[in-house]
Amino acid sequence: MTRALVVTGAGGVGKTTISAALAVTAARSGLRTLVLTVDPAQRLSTALGIAIGNEPEPHPEEEGLWVAMLDATASWQEVVRRHTDPEVAERLIGNEFFEAATSHFPASQSFAAAEQAATYIDARAWDLVVIDTPPAAGGIDFFTAPAKMADLVGGRLLRWLTGARLPGRRFLFDRTAKPVLRLADQVLGSNLLERIAEFFMDLRTTYDGVAKRGRQIERHMKRATTVVVTTSDPAPMREAVRFFHALPEVASRPAAVFFNRSLPESWIDAKPPRGTDAALATNLIRWGVEAQKQRSARRELGERYRVAIVTVPWQRRPPTDLDSLAELIESADGLPRLW
Amino acid sequence: MSSRLVLVSGKGGVGKSAVAAAYALAARRRGERVLAIDMLDGGGLGAHLGEPDLAFQPRPIGEGLEASTIDRAEALIEYLRVQVGIPALATIGPAARAFDTLASTAPAIREVVTIGKVLWEVKRGVWDLVVADAAPTGQIGSYLRAARTVRELVASGRILDQVEWMEQILSDPDRTRLVLVTLPEELPVVETEETIAWVEAEQLVGSLSVVANRVLPPLDAEVPGRDGPVAEAAALHQSLWEEQQQWLGHLPVELALPYLFGTHTPAEVAERLADVLEESS
Repeated sequence: MTRALVVTGAGGVGKTTISAALAVTAARSGLRTLVLTVDPAQRLSTALGIAIGNEPEPHPEEEGLWVAMLDATASWQEVVRRHTDPEVAERLIGNEFFEAATSHFPASQSFAAAEQAATYIDARAWDLVVIDTPPAAGGIDFFTAPAKMADLVGGRLLRWLTGARLPGRRFLFDRTAKPVLRLADQVLGSNLLERIAEFFMDLRTTYDGVAKRGRQIERHMKRATTVVVTTSDPAPMREAVRFFHALPEVASRPAAVFFNRSLPESWIDAKPPRGTDAALATNLIRWGVEAQKQRSARRELGERYRVAIVTVPWQRRPPTDLDSLAELIESADGLPRLW
Repeated sequence: MSSRLVLVSGKGGVGKSAVAAAYALAARRRGERVLAIDMLDGGGLGAHLGEPDLAFQPRPIGEGLEASTIDRAEALIEYLRVQVGIPALATIGPAARAFDTLASTAPAIREVVTIGKVLWEVKRGVWDLVVADAAPTGQIGSYLRAARTVRELVASGRILDQVEWMEQILSDPDRTRLVLVTLPEELPVVETEETIAWVEAEQLVGSLSVVANRVLPPLDAEVPGRDGPVAEAAALHQSLWEEQQQWLGHLPVELALPYLFGTHTPAEVAERLADVLEESS
C-alpha cells in the first residue's frame, strides 16, 4: 500500500525543504518515495538535481527517489478539462471571466494539488508519497479544497440567481422575481450579469465530476499522516496552532510539529568568557535571547497539544544537495516514526 | 485637503502588517492625522496597533490615529449608497448579502469594492495619510488592476463612473505609494522582483518603494577560530548576514528594518519599526 505524508505549515518556514529532506531520508531507508513539491526555490530544485516537471521523474543519482512539481497555474484548466465535455471545457477556458474568476479562488490550487497527489497514491507505484502543500491558510486549504470546489462549481451563485432548482436558461433573468437583479443591473449593466450567469452555468457541468473526485480525495487525505512545519515566530505559530483548533474533518491529527531554524539550547544561558571581544559577546547574548524564545515556543506547543516536537537546527547555509538535505533530518531531534 | 496613500504589500510571512502599522505610527508621531485600514478582514494590523478588534467604522487609537478593517458586506452597502447613489439599501438587506455573493464570484467587483473603500477615504480628504495593510503580493495585482478590469468588462452601469477617479488617485505619484515589504531571502526577493516588473509594466500606481524587514546587523568582528557558543553564534550570524546581503543586492532597497531578537508583542514590534522609520526620514 502507498502511504501518504502531508507536510503543512505557513509560507516561508521551510516547508518545501523539510518535505524534500524527509523524502530523501525515506528513500535512503529503502522506500520507493515520491516527493511532490510546490514552488521550490531555485536552489532547492538544484538540490533535487533535476528540472522538476509535472510528471514524476526518477532522480538520476538517488535510487528510490522520484520528484514532481505540483503545478498551480494550469490547475483550473485541468480541472475543467477533466470533468466536462471537451466543447464546454474549451468554451469555459476561452471565457473572458475564466481567469479572473478562477484566480480568485485559492482552493483551486489546493484542489489541483490534492487531485494530483491522489492520482499518484492510486498508482501504487510508490511506498510513500510526500506532499508539500500550497501555503494558503497554513495548508488547511489542502484538506478543505475538495468541498470548497464542489461548492463553487455547484453554483452557489446560480442557486442564488434562480432558487434551489436549476431551471433552464430562459428563467435565469426573471427580474420581477428578484429585486436584487434590478439593483445589479443598475450598477453593473444587465449584460454583465447575464454573461457571468452563463459562465457559471457552463462551470456547473463540471459539478458531478468534481464532487465525486473530491470525495475520493478526501478519503485519501483522511488516511494520510500529517506533519506541521513552523518556526517560533508569532505568525507561523498562529498558523500551526490553527491547524490543531480548526482541524478539518478530513485530516488526521498532526503526528509531529517541526520547528525549523532552531538554535542550540546551550546558547540560552551561555556566558561569554572574560576577555571576549565586545561585539562577539553582544552577538552571543542576542542569539541566546532568540534561543530562549524558541525553547518557550516549543514547550508551549508541545505541552498544550501533546504532540511530538521535532527540533531542526538552523543551518548556516540552505541545503544545496541531497546529502545536505538528509543531514537536515539526521541532525533533527525528537523525530517520531512517520512511515 | 489632499490625502496621501501608502499601500503596504509583500509575500505572506514577511511582516507586512507590522510595517503597515509602523508607517501609521511614524506618521502619527509627526503630528499627521492618520487612518490605518486592514484590507483583509481579520488580518494582523489590529494586533500591531494594540487594538485587535478592528471594525468597519474607524475607531480612534490614541491621538491622531484611527483604524478600521474592511468587512466586505458593509463595504458593499456603503459603496452602493455613497458612491453609486443607491439609497435605502438597509431595506433590502438580504439583497445586499446576495449581491455580495455575486461580488465575491464575479471578477474584479469584490476588489473594486475593497480598494474603492480605501481610495474613498483618500478622496474624502479628512486624513493626512491613509495607510492600507493590503493583500499579499500574490493577489495585489488583482486589486490594483480591479478598476481597469471593470472598465474593460462593463459596457454600461453606474460602476463605470466610479472607476475613473479610482485609477486617478492610484496612479498619482504625489499621492499614492506602494510599499513592497520583503525579507532578505530567496523566495521573497524573487517574488518582489516579479511584482516590481509587473507594477512598472502596468503603470497602475504612482510610486513604489522596497522595504527589507528582519535585516541582521553586521557582526563587526572576526569569527573566532575556537569552539564554543561564542564562536558558533558568530559563525551562524556571519553566514546568515552574508546570505542576506547577497539577496539585498538584487533589489533597490530604500530602507532596511532590523531583525528583532527575542520575544516582543506585536504592538512592541510596530513601535520599534516606527522608531527606525522616524530616524530614517
